[in-house]
Amino acid sequence: MTKTVYQELIVPELDAGDAGDAIRQFGARFLAGGFVRDTFVAAVLEREEKYPTGLQLDGMALAMPHTSGEHVRRPAVGVAKLKKPVIFGHMGDEETKVEAEMLLMMAIQDPDAQVDLLRKVMGVFTNQEALAEFKAAGDFEALYAAATKYLG
Amino acid sequence: MKNVKILCVCGSGAVSSSMVALKIREMLRDRGYNAATMESSPTSAESVLASGGFDAIACVSPVYADFGIPKISALGMLTGMGEEQVINDLVKVLEEKYGK
Repeated sequence: MTKTVYQELIVPELDAGDAGDAIRQFGARFLAGGFVRDTFVAAVLEREEKYPTGLQLDGMALAMPHTSGEHVRRPAVGVAKLKKPVIFGHMGDEETKVEAEMLLMMAIQDPDAQVDLLRKVMGVFTNQEALAEFKAAGDFEALYAAATKYLG
Repeated sequence: MKNVKILCVCGSGAVSSSMVALKIREMLRDRGYNAATMESSPTSAESVLASGGFDAIACVSPVYADFGIPKISALGMLTGMGEEQVINDLVKVLEEKYGK
């Protein structure tokens, strides 16, 4: 199984003023770790503007910012909990806003090759036990453990 | 198993639509359909549809244009709230076209 969870992409307390700030800060870690090209953050921001990725799930709102594969060097998923919730547009619905508590940011190069990762991320969305563990994770160790368990 | 073809649409044309496509294929199989899926963004939907033979469009990003092919919202596939509704909507479209 390809590794997809990395310590440097686990952030227990991301202090961001708004969605763009959160994406820029978290995206900088993806860039620093060599997971994405320097075009990644701008592409994610542009996509988020046009097609927002906030999701109101059962028990938690989160966002899953991402973009297309040409901006990605190696696949990964990062988990950042927001120090205070940040407003994202809801996917598929321009009118609805969500107060995202967590970012699941994905660097996907080829969806067909990274199908396991897509399955796992989607599995978290619909798994209330997993969401509760992410929600309860208050420090790096707990968040890394949850990410490894459900996304690794 | 009936063979059907579904276009899955999301903003990037790759990631969320692939997630939805995975689940649609699995859940339609349980309902007796062998679904082939393709993914596109809203802006590239028209050119992908031009390859022909699509029975339905499953959207997680809004598709405003009318291509003469039934559109259903597939957001419930991602949130897990309303998965069955999405499949029921799809099956209804397919049954209207092919019969039960």
